[in-house]
Amino acid sequence: MVEFVSGISVVCFAASYAVALLCEASRLLFRSGVRGAAMIAFAAAGLVAHTLFLGWRATHEPAVPLSSAFDWYLLAAWVLAGGYLWLTIANPRTPVGLFMLPVVLGLIGAAQVSSRAPFPQSPATQIWGAIHGSFNLAASVAVAIGALAGCLWLIQAGRLARKQPPLRSFRLPSLERLAHTTERTLAIAAWTAAAGFFSGIILNAVNRQRGLLETVPWNDPVVLRMAGLVVWLVTAAAAARITSRRADGPRIASWLSLVSFGVLTASILWGLFGTTRHGVPPIQPAAAHADPEATP
Amino acid sequence: MTLAFVGGTHRTVPLALRERLAFSAEQAAEALVRFRERFPGQEGVLLSTCNRVEFYAAGERSDVPPPPPDQLLSFLAECRGIDADLLTPVLAGDRDEAVVRHLFSVAAGLDSMVLGEPQIVAQVKQAWSLAQESRTAGPLTGEMFQAALRTAKRVTTETAIGRERLSIPSVAVADFASGVFERFDDKRILLIGAGKMAGETLRYLRAAGARDIVVVNRTAGRADELAGRLGARAGRFEDLAAELSAADLVVSTTGATEPVVSPELFGQAESRRGGRPLVVLDLAVPRDFDPRIGQRPGVWLYSVDDLAAACDANRKSRQRELPAALTIIDEETQRFMGDLHHRSTAPVIERLRAGWSETGEAELDRLFRRLPTLDDAARAEIRQAFDRYAAKLLHPPLASLRSESRAGSPHGLLDALKRLFDLKD
Repeated sequence: MVEFVSGISVVCFAASYAVALLCEASRLLFRSGVRGAAMIAFAAAGLVAHTLFLGWRATHEPAVPLSSAFDWYLLAAWVLAGGYLWLTIANPRTPVGLFMLPVVLGLIGAAQVSSRAPFPQSPATQIWGAIHGSFNLAASVAVAIGALAGCLWLIQAGRLARKQPPLRSFRLPSLERLAHTTERTLAIAAWTAAAGFFSGIILNAVNRQRGLLETVPWNDPVVLRMAGLVVWLVTAAAAARITSRRADGPRIASWLSLVSFGVLTASILWGLFGTTRHGVPPIQPAAAHADPEATP
Repeated sequence: MTLAFVGGTHRTVPLALRERLAFSAEQAAEALVRFRERFPGQEGVLLSTCNRVEFYAAGERSDVPPPPPDQLLSFLAECRGIDADLLTPVLAGDRDEAVVRHLFSVAAGLDSMVLGEPQIVAQVKQAWSLAQESRTAGPLTGEMFQAALRTAKRVTTETAIGRERLSIPSVAVADFASGVFERFDDKRILLIGAGKMAGETLRYLRAAGARDIVVVNRTAGRADELAGRLGARAGRFEDLAAELSAADLVVSTTGATEPVVSPELFGQAESRRGGRPLVVLDLAVPRDFDPRIGQRPGVWLYSVDDLAAACDANRKSRQRELPAALTIIDEETQRFMGDLHHRSTAPVIERLRAGWSETGEAELDRLFRRLPTLDDAARAEIRQAFDRYAAKLLHPPLASLRSESRAGSPHGLLDALKRLFDLKD
């Protein structure tokens, strides 16, 4: 059993999700009696492998979930994959996978190109680090779900405006439900992103005050992109709230949620390929003296 | 011949004649009793709906075949007091496999006015129950009707022929209003006018959970009467703008010749709606709502033409499923007929086995008398060897018989077996 679990790799669950996505896409082409079961089976197998993989890393690596960029992305993908499975079982005729599984696979891809080295931690900063990571994770998941709901709202509204009856294998939730989800997730994303940002400032301050670990300068790209994301999400949530009593409020909220997802994606890409002092080990005094701006 | 049928549908029988030919439940029961007396030992099932009258007869014994279609036609004419000559050109008759295929198609809704409609299954079940109560049902019609219901279920589950909605009220509620609203129990429904589709649309809305219904009509008394009948509240026509501002879904079915709700009137209501979406099902011809209202944000306006177009699309979608449904009908008919033909060979097989067994027993007795020293174990071994030998010799002809049954009644083989093995009826 131990040998089996230790042999699970990222490719195992990514491949399962990819097959589930292909099954979802085939809804557009033909009807099948076994596709639903196959889709759920592959997604569930992927989720089980994903869970075992994260569990193995939490118990056998010097890391727990959220303690490295790699683990953070995989945990975000795991939450979304679980959400996909739940939504698919509850609403088998709604093609949520067409929208959620690419995000899940994108996050797994981001994990593959990000660092597996654990963020430096000390007992004094561990709790703040966990809070910071958890809030950022919740904000990202909320943005992704909000974008899904917003996208489905726009598709459903377009279909209803063109007076088209629903397709048999492509049932969409009601506008009422989608609008509610979009507005709610925008608000959750704004609050959690702000909480994640401010807990990061506190974490940085604790590090600086106690001289425990390397601190992140205020003009670090990670700080700037997170600040930008928070400002955008708070603005978007406020705009959605203000326009919620207008007849075109749900449409505005849907577009805001899609733009929020674009901003989040840009922020993640910037984080993946930009230079930063966020989450890097502390600089040794001698090295720091030689080159204070060195980036490992 | 073991199965016979005669019947007519909306396609062949004019409405006036169909009305005369139709049987109420009591009349159908009486007709079945009369059939039992007229054709003793025969099985009969009468299926009478608003679109069809059909009589299915069966007789399993080859010496007592069921009454042929022309006799069944005369019987139906006599039961309903109609001149048989009037029915001859409009009723069709069939025998054996065609009867099975027809019943399977009927039960699956493929022969209905609305392709794939599900109510016919319940009507087929009722017809069978009535035949059971009237003691005209038998093993053959029993198997045929059970197989028909099984076939209907297969068609429903394996094709999408009955899934798309075809009536305007059902499409309006299930495909469009439900696309906007998640639930209806917290929505205000406003019914303007009392057109013929109002009641059916409200029935669908009630089934979806709608409770808060307001009826307005130009004639206050008519609104009160309709509200009382529908379990709704009557509103004043003069307060239409206020009612529109409070409504979430409007069903409009007035007989007005000009739009009842103009953009100006709607504008008064819109400012007080607080951005809530509004679904308008304008089922009136001419339209009650000015089409420009449908361009306002948050308003989902559907006219009869919009809904009829959706119904047509659904109808075409059902037509596309027809070949798959017919394949199922074909498979099930072949399976049923194969079983039926194979069952008709049972008496011959039985006699063949009995003849061989009799001969074998006689030979064994003779052998055991010649060898009295054999103990019980040895005798049992020899008996088993005889049985195995007989089974192996019988296997090829019986397998050929089974195989031949799948293609049709194996009369040739049965006659050959009877002659070869001297089997007497």
